[in-house]
Amino acid sequence: MPDVQALVNDFVLKLKRRKIEGSHASAQHTAELLRSVISHQRMPYTNQAGALIDAVKAVGEQLIAANPVELAVGNIVRRVLHIIREEDLSSTATAIEGLGLSAGSDDDDEGQHEDRPALSAAALAAAARSTLRAPSLQTLLEDIPDSAAAPQPPSSGGDSEGKSKSADKNIRSRKLKHDVIEAINELIQDIDTCHEQISEQAVEHIHQNEVILTLGRSRTVKEFLCAAKEKNRSFRVFVAEGAPRYQGHVLAKELVSKGIQTTVITDSAVFAMISRVNMVIVGAHAIMANGGVIAPVGINMVALAAQRHAVPFVVVAGSHKLCPLYPHNPEVLLNDLKCPSDLLDFGEFSDCMDFGSHGGSPLLHVVNPAFDYVPPKLVSLFITDTGGHNPSYMYRLIADYYSADDLVVKRRSTS
Amino acid sequence: MWLRSASFVLDQRQQQEEPSSFFYDPRFYDPRDPAQLPPPSPSIDPMDQNPNPNHGISAYYQTRAEHHAVVTSDWLAQAQAAVGRDAAPSSGRPTAAASSSSAARTGSVGGGGKPFSVIDEFNYWRKKPDLAEAVAAIMALAAVIRSSEATTMMELEIELKKASDTLKSWDTTSISLSAGCDLFMRYVTRTSALEYEDFDAAKLRLIERGEKFGEISLKARRTIAMLGQDFIFDGCTILVHGFSRVVLEVLKLAASNRKLFRVLCTEGRPDRTGLRLSNELAALGVPVKLLIDSAVAYTMDEVDMVFVGADGVVESGGIINMMGTYQIALVAHSMNKPVYVAAESYKNDSCELLQFARLYPLDQKDLAPALRSIDFGVPIPSGVEVETSARDYTPPQYLTLLFTDLGVLTPSVVSDELIQLYL
Repeated sequence: MPDVQALVNDFVLKLKRRKIEGSHASAQHTAELLRSVISHQRMPYTNQAGALIDAVKAVGEQLIAANPVELAVGNIVRRVLHIIREEDLSSTATAIEGLGLSAGSDDDDEGQHEDRPALSAAALAAAARSTLRAPSLQTLLEDIPDSAAAPQPPSSGGDSEGKSKSADKNIRSRKLKHDVIEAINELIQDIDTCHEQISEQAVEHIHQNEVILTLGRSRTVKEFLCAAKEKNRSFRVFVAEGAPRYQGHVLAKELVSKGIQTTVITDSAVFAMISRVNMVIVGAHAIMANGGVIAPVGINMVALAAQRHAVPFVVVAGSHKLCPLYPHNPEVLLNDLKCPSDLLDFGEFSDCMDFGSHGGSPLLHVVNPAFDYVPPKLVSLFITDTGGHNPSYMYRLIADYYSADDLVVKRRSTS
Repeated sequence: MWLRSASFVLDQRQQQEEPSSFFYDPRFYDPRDPAQLPPPSPSIDPMDQNPNPNHGISAYYQTRAEHHAVVTSDWLAQAQAAVGRDAAPSSGRPTAAASSSSAARTGSVGGGGKPFSVIDEFNYWRKKPDLAEAVAAIMALAAVIRSSEATTMMELEIELKKASDTLKSWDTTSISLSAGCDLFMRYVTRTSALEYEDFDAAKLRLIERGEKFGEISLKARRTIAMLGQDFIFDGCTILVHGFSRVVLEVLKLAASNRKLFRVLCTEGRPDRTGLRLSNELAALGVPVKLLIDSAVAYTMDEVDMVFVGADGVVESGGIINMMGTYQIALVAHSMNKPVYVAAESYKNDSCELLQFARLYPLDQKDLAPALRSIDFGVPIPSGVEVETSARDYTPPQYLTLLFTDLGVLTPSVVSDELIQLYL
């Protein structure tokens, strides 16, 4: 499948060069790319789900490495993996014969490569979790030893049955692929329509004559506000301009064209204006598993101001921004340092940039971080396409969208 | 002669190596201008600025110790002994000697010639450095089954019940001990093991399962270590309170992954668990600093994260742990430092829940107090009460994340999981 590989390389290059930016665009591209990867994947006789998962993981690994800060890419990869697992489970459940073959073989594999670090940690946690979800606690004693003690070879039982049912299996394999592609299409559609679904809830949150504050420009926020306007709510919006990219100016123009009363303020005026504000609505770059938010720079300041004046701080985000990872040191590790040309024009500080003196390093540094991390306690509400949620509820959504085996997207070296 | 407290013994060792000491900065004791710069502590005589120029110990605390004479020579001897002794694994339980007699009295189960004591068995397993207490309890109970001469399930059950009651009454303070006992009892009384036709087969199965549990626990600890070590980044400073094998495992793994970090250990009075932990960490080559328990707030601003273990995790998502955890969590919370808890999932307080329907402590006194004798080194005057509780309850809002073998959980997830289990 050389054409798929070319597509992958092309996308990796685009991600690396930051040609594709923004979680919406990258999520969509990732989903489309993975769909073509799956449709070109040749299906083996046995363990088709495993083959699909390996193929997706191989591609996903490259994509995540290309731009680790763009968390949406990883999210979509994990969503697709989850879809494959779910579809496989449901298809094996309907065809009772092959049950335990593909689903079981995954577990056994993990049991065998248990000495491998991070991957097996997550997998073991998942295994422990699933056993604990079972009716009672004594499964802790019952089940884990079973899988550890008797890793029965997955092929021995499956093969004999597999041969007799080969015709049936062939149909089933095509069906699995078909189902997965169907589900990915749905996912792509979800990503497309998440704005509409979020903005449907706008009237529940924005009331007559309220004052809303936002910072920078987010498409989700724009559609959210416009939807409230279309339902004939009249309200005012303060837009902090969002230095250094001044996307707030763009948003203000868009809002005015829809007939919303808009006031542009500087970022530094947020604290001065917050006492008049009824609600802060902002977009996000990613939502982490603990309910923390990675958002455009400046939003943490807004969140702190909102907390100081007890103003509700609402984050609107599509579910593709929901990331199942916990942030470690997010201010540094999940941040992107942008080009300083946003801050100052070329040559503006050239006299300070004298590399000749002071041992070759200039006295002046210009740093332009792209993101802020907002801790979960500052967030009052998340509005996603499935409704409004508390920060402490995020883990539940994540359990719905992702399977715990996929938290670390890395291929096993043996496969 | 001026006498020192336990922590000063260690302080001095360190300061002998680097003689420059904050307390002896001469600027603080400027004799020329006593009015403009008053002496930093009331007990320092301005006429006698350097009473003890040779060792770098705070003059304030020297004189204070002299005045109040709280510190006695046998305390010092004890402290020095403790420093020397902490290499020996898990020794020095004050109750150990007292209980051996009670063990002989009540602990012998199973008839026959050789008396078998659960508690001896338990102590044997407990001495093993990498076995958690709950596992040791299960091992001991498995040994009871092995040595039992019962011929029916009922007899065996009664014997086990007796043994586990003995174990539990031997050390009522340990949650994980009683959790281990209850878990195993529940397993014996209610599992499919009872469905076996053959009594011997059922017995064998029970023993086998009991011994597997040790492996499960070890595996759980490894999982936790892998999850937890991601949170340790290069150059960070970690405050650890109490001795927890899981926390030690996390730090060990991080150290073996060549992460560079520094650990601050609290002393962990009265049983000096921090000394033991610092000993283990020093052996790994991790830079360790010991603090007295009251120095937590003083050092918190240089700390990046707090790591604690847990004796038990309760339904609210809070933890029960060694005395002092609550105040450390409070200090960390007020300074915006993350508090991470490492705990194995069987410590999720299932058994308590089964017994008392639910354990949802609302304040410290809601817990049955786990008392422990505290040695102050000097006779306490009659009529003076001593707070002897060994553990406290830390509410969930002061915890950041829990690392369990079920994955990384926020406290609210813990309560969700537990509620799902015991609906």
